[in-house]
Amino acid sequence: MKKNPWKRVCLYLFVFAVCVIILYPYFVMFTTAAKTNEEMYSTTAGILPKEFKWSNFIDVWSAAPIMKYMFNSIIVAGGATLIAILCGIPAAYALSRMKFKGKGFFMGAVIMSQMFSPVVLLVGINRMMSSIGLKDSLLGLILLNAAFNQAFAIWLLRGTFTSISSEMEQAAKIDGCGTVQALVRILLPMAAPGIITTLIFVFINSWNEYTIALTLISSDVLKPITVGINVFYGFNMIQWQYLFATSIYATIPVIILFLCIEKHLVAGLTSGGVKG
Amino acid sequence: MKNRAKPETLRTMKKIEPYIWLLPSILMMGCMIMIPIFNVFRASVTEISKVGVYKEFNGFANYISVFKKQTFWHTLQNTVVWTIVVVGLSTLIGFILALVLNVEFHGRKLVRAVIVFPWATALIIQSVVWKYIINADYGALNALLYNLGIIDHYVNWTATPGAFFAWECFVGIFVTVPFVTFCVLSGLQSIDASLYEACKVDGASFWAQLFKVTVPLVMPSLTVSTVLNIIYVFNSFPIVWTISKGDPADQTHTLVTYLYDLSFSNGKFGEAAAVSVIGFLILAACASVYMILSLRAEQED
Repeated sequence: MKKNPWKRVCLYLFVFAVCVIILYPYFVMFTTAAKTNEEMYSTTAGILPKEFKWSNFIDVWSAAPIMKYMFNSIIVAGGATLIAILCGIPAAYALSRMKFKGKGFFMGAVIMSQMFSPVVLLVGINRMMSSIGLKDSLLGLILLNAAFNQAFAIWLLRGTFTSISSEMEQAAKIDGCGTVQALVRILLPMAAPGIITTLIFVFINSWNEYTIALTLISSDVLKPITVGINVFYGFNMIQWQYLFATSIYATIPVIILFLCIEKHLVAGLTSGGVKG
Repeated sequence: MKNRAKPETLRTMKKIEPYIWLLPSILMMGCMIMIPIFNVFRASVTEISKVGVYKEFNGFANYISVFKKQTFWHTLQNTVVWTIVVVGLSTLIGFILALVLNVEFHGRKLVRAVIVFPWATALIIQSVVWKYIINADYGALNALLYNLGIIDHYVNWTATPGAFFAWECFVGIFVTVPFVTFCVLSGLQSIDASLYEACKVDGASFWAQLFKVTVPLVMPSLTVSTVLNIIYVFNSFPIVWTISKGDPADQTHTLVTYLYDLSFSNGKFGEAAAVSVIGFLILAACASVYMILSLRAEQED
């Protein structure tokens, strides 16, 4: 490649253009969040605001109960992650370490369940949640997010467990360790990177979830952040600066978390599923 | 382990054991996914009042009234276009990006990190930003192009339903490309470098190398990303809902926004459930294709 400098130049230009396009909406979010109200609807705006109103980033916390929304999102995403992992680990363990009838069927069902997103089931979900009294509640959101992420959790965890040799567990069992003990003491520490990847992935999915929460949650105090930002979306006027300031707060932690797991995640998704 | 003789009870225990391990996840998925599936099927053949009271079995009346609607057929067409365009172009662009990112260059890690952004950002946030960007009166795109001297007056980017829909497809592609890129990249990085050395020795052209070595070897990754994307894109709700809400005149709906609009805006739960079942069947077809593919891959292993 080094022989041809033009190829290099083209490569860098291409990559630069890609980055500019990808970062453009984030640039817009950031600069718009710092606009004054007067400049917001100006039809002769420049690329950058004439005057940066950085205080928007602080004012937004008092403009709407953002803190509350964030807290709800943490509860929902945290709870869903916990449940999905606690149910997923034993299932993935059985799938990677034991032979039993119906294993293929169960794997098939896990994959099938992934195919049916909550959106096509919304009418049914709505009815079920009303009848068990979990319609307008965080617990309902936690359970649904856990269930709809279960397939991915099992998928990723099974891939991780399968990639670890069972020799150590066998040895521990010969030494008198029970199955559960062998799992907790030996396999789980070795599978930690895969488990953390799964944890973060489920957390991000639940944090970013919008449709179920939009449908089920009607009380303002129970809204997660993805639905909560709609408060800036009035009938006549949209408070774009606060909308984007909040969006930035809701996005930065997720991007950082995602960057931590990206390598593991992709390897797990592509290999854990097809092979194993 | 197997040849060691065991008492009968222990053997039964061993047989049941795997199912006990599976029980929590079966229970959870069973309750939270199977019951809604059952509900949707039941609702699709039930007369339901506007406030959601279930009246009586009405056969295929809901399906028939859905099929009679012009909007439904238009929506179905949109959904097919949406899924094929978004998945197709995302796969192509993602593949090219992955090829580029597989080359060593300065700042490659940084570019990888940037490409993660659209994948990690909530769809709803991404959709709202683009809605702002393409706004005709005060949108960022008009301001940008005007100040760069590319346009001499503000353009209404969403003058027609087609234009609206095209922008939605663009945003769909924007958020889908990273997933493809990373899937293909992980496939590319597992290709043995000596294969490319062999190509060089044989004097294979760039295209021959691409189609005879690279494409076949990343096929498994490409299959996973394509099938998953078909399902995600088909079911993608926030982009269309935020940017156009299916308007103007219900011209830009996809199946999922249409069913949402039917049920939660218009109280036609029975018809919405019928639309769900139709979407459900289309997805089931996709799912079976995927299962056949993955089972085949497992057998080859």
